[in-house]
Amino acid sequence: MSDSSASQAPIRIDGLSLSRSGRTVLSNLSLSVEAGQAYALLGGNGAGKSTTIAALLGLLPAEGGVMEVAGIDPVEAPEAARRVIGYLPENVALYEQLDAYENIAYFLALGGARPSRAAIDEALDAAGLEADARRLRTADYSKGMRQKVAIAMALLRDVPVLLLDEPTSGLDPRATADFNALVRQLKARGTAILMVTHDLLGAADCADLIGFLAKGRIVEEVATGPNLDVMALHHRYGEAAAA
Amino acid sequence: MSSLRLVARNEWQLMRRSRVAQIAIALLLVLAGIAAITSIAHRNANDDLRARFQAQANSEFDGQPARHPHRMVHYGHFVFRPLPPLAAFDPGVDAFTGSTIFLEGHRQNSANFGDVRQSSLLARFGQLTPAFVLQALAPLVLIFVGFGLIAREREAGTLRLLTASGASPGAILGGKALALSGVAALMLIPAGLALLWMMAAEGAGAVAAGSLLLGYATYLAVWVAAIAGVSAIASTPRAALIALLAMWAVATVLLPRVAPEAALSVDPLTTKLETDIAIQRELREIGDSHDPDDPHFEEFKTSVLQEYGVDRIEDLPFNYNGLLAMEGETLTSSLFDQYAARETAQEKRHAAIVTSFGVISPTIALNRLSITLAGTGMDGHRRFLEQAEAYRFAIVQQLNQLQAEAVTFADDSTRNSDPVAGRRVRIDPEHWHEVPDFTYRGATTGERLQAAAAPALILLFWLLVAGLFLREARNYVLGAH
Repeated sequence: MSDSSASQAPIRIDGLSLSRSGRTVLSNLSLSVEAGQAYALLGGNGAGKSTTIAALLGLLPAEGGVMEVAGIDPVEAPEAARRVIGYLPENVALYEQLDAYENIAYFLALGGARPSRAAIDEALDAAGLEADARRLRTADYSKGMRQKVAIAMALLRDVPVLLLDEPTSGLDPRATADFNALVRQLKARGTAILMVTHDLLGAADCADLIGFLAKGRIVEEVATGPNLDVMALHHRYGEAAAA
Repeated sequence: MSSLRLVARNEWQLMRRSRVAQIAIALLLVLAGIAAITSIAHRNANDDLRARFQAQANSEFDGQPARHPHRMVHYGHFVFRPLPPLAAFDPGVDAFTGSTIFLEGHRQNSANFGDVRQSSLLARFGQLTPAFVLQALAPLVLIFVGFGLIAREREAGTLRLLTASGASPGAILGGKALALSGVAALMLIPAGLALLWMMAAEGAGAVAAGSLLLGYATYLAVWVAAIAGVSAIASTPRAALIALLAMWAVATVLLPRVAPEAALSVDPLTTKLETDIAIQRELREIGDSHDPDDPHFEEFKTSVLQEYGVDRIEDLPFNYNGLLAMEGETLTSSLFDQYAARETAQEKRHAAIVTSFGVISPTIALNRLSITLAGTGMDGHRRFLEQAEAYRFAIVQQLNQLQAEAVTFADDSTRNSDPVAGRRVRIDPEHWHEVPDFTYRGATTGERLQAAAAPALILLFWLLVAGLFLREARNYVLGAH
């Protein structure tokens, strides 16, 4: 799991334990994600995937273990940690009365960034949001369109760490493929990406490492590559999820 | 730009694009504008009417023909309470207490012609005045505009994105509260303009008007903090709305009606009829100045004869009947003053109880502050009653003195049997002009500010509590994730 260079990794979790409502959700969880690497965290419902993301965002207090995001402890300095994190929730919620430009400008301004209109257009182009939709209020957006806006935000923030919570859930195959291409692009820029997902094929397509989470801990971690047996992995994933 | 200001600006942008917020705010502004205009017009019309009636009463008194002075004592005089300039902002108890008193010898009449007694029951539930709009309706509109400030974002999911984007819980809550404060400030504009008009055109004092506006701003700030705090703590927008509506109903509708009832049950008020009967009973005990055999007045006569060294009242250098009337009036007035003092003390106790309810309802604290600064509270009414009674006593005694000095005892004693004497006791009507007109002196700004200190302190206490509540609510912005 963690190697000797883990202390330099933009995302580092070491022995993290966390309970919610008296139930242990994460138990001695350890993982690390290097710069330019994507780590896909898979697991059944309630395995602790989204809780891991929330903990990295500093939204949940850890009971034990260590976390670091670009060298910042999100428990000690949650707001500083959030400034170096790009976060893409499963269901991207935008302000419905605002259009894509206004949403992006607002959320980025909160993080201290003021991108130009051209830069926003460039990011939206990269995210694949149609030009004629950008001026519409997001109340009329589909889930995929909202997700593209959030991806554009993540691109514009140019942060070293990206946390993706079920990023391809509800997307059609074409949009999923586009998204995976985007993840590869972000990796090439040196971004460390942690994504939680149920989409094993997508993970195999764009992630470097896949970790199976069960009962709050990594039970198996595999490196992706041309020799990866996805069907065997799928079988083991099913077993891990059932466990 | 700080995160707090960014959040506030964004919230303003969302409100500008929200149909519900637009309609609610526009409706309130229109209502506040109408309230200001109609209230100023109503106050001016009422004040003009009272001034006209006062002038007419003065003129009728002055225009009386030659009469016996004691006839003038019984002819009496009407006095009207002028409305203070800020009555257009908050008419207070004016509609309930009556605005005119008939003054006459030997009697103390109550004030009459309160608007409420002449109008429908609806008038009892609040007139459309700037004070009513800001005390009761503005918090309601703020609730409808702001109940979802945090709860709505939490439900929609934008709250997590907001925090993930770098906004701290304090900045989010503070920014939202700041945006709602902007709405509250907007609501104060019609009232502020109305107060400026009252200062410029009606002569309202700037300090009182400014303090009034400051009081209302504090009150709305308390509501803003409560709304933002509840929205942060509530699990859903619906729960926030229900909690806030319940708070509004209790604070602005229920408690302001319960407080006076509680004061009455703690310290029951003597009815007007009971007071009148008690006064009459005591008057009988004091004696009857019209009764020549009354023991008290017999004793008085003896002391006067001794003082002037004569044996008969006919030998006194003045008309004894006039002096007798003066003595009678002094005794009855002193009795009236005693009862009035008791009533005043009781009203003050009631007012203190009602003001103390301000600790559980900021609306009560503001109401007390508002009517005190406007000069339209019970203090102002009591002041009018006291000045009217002092005036009544002064003019009755002036007329009694005329009887003592301008009418001879001989003529006075035979005026009913001797037509010539009957004519002579009717003195020159020029004397009626010597009776001064009634001039009501309202409380000074200093006196009003002093009287408003207690409710002002309670409002400041509310502001402190609201600030602490908002500070505590910061912990719930993320805590409910």
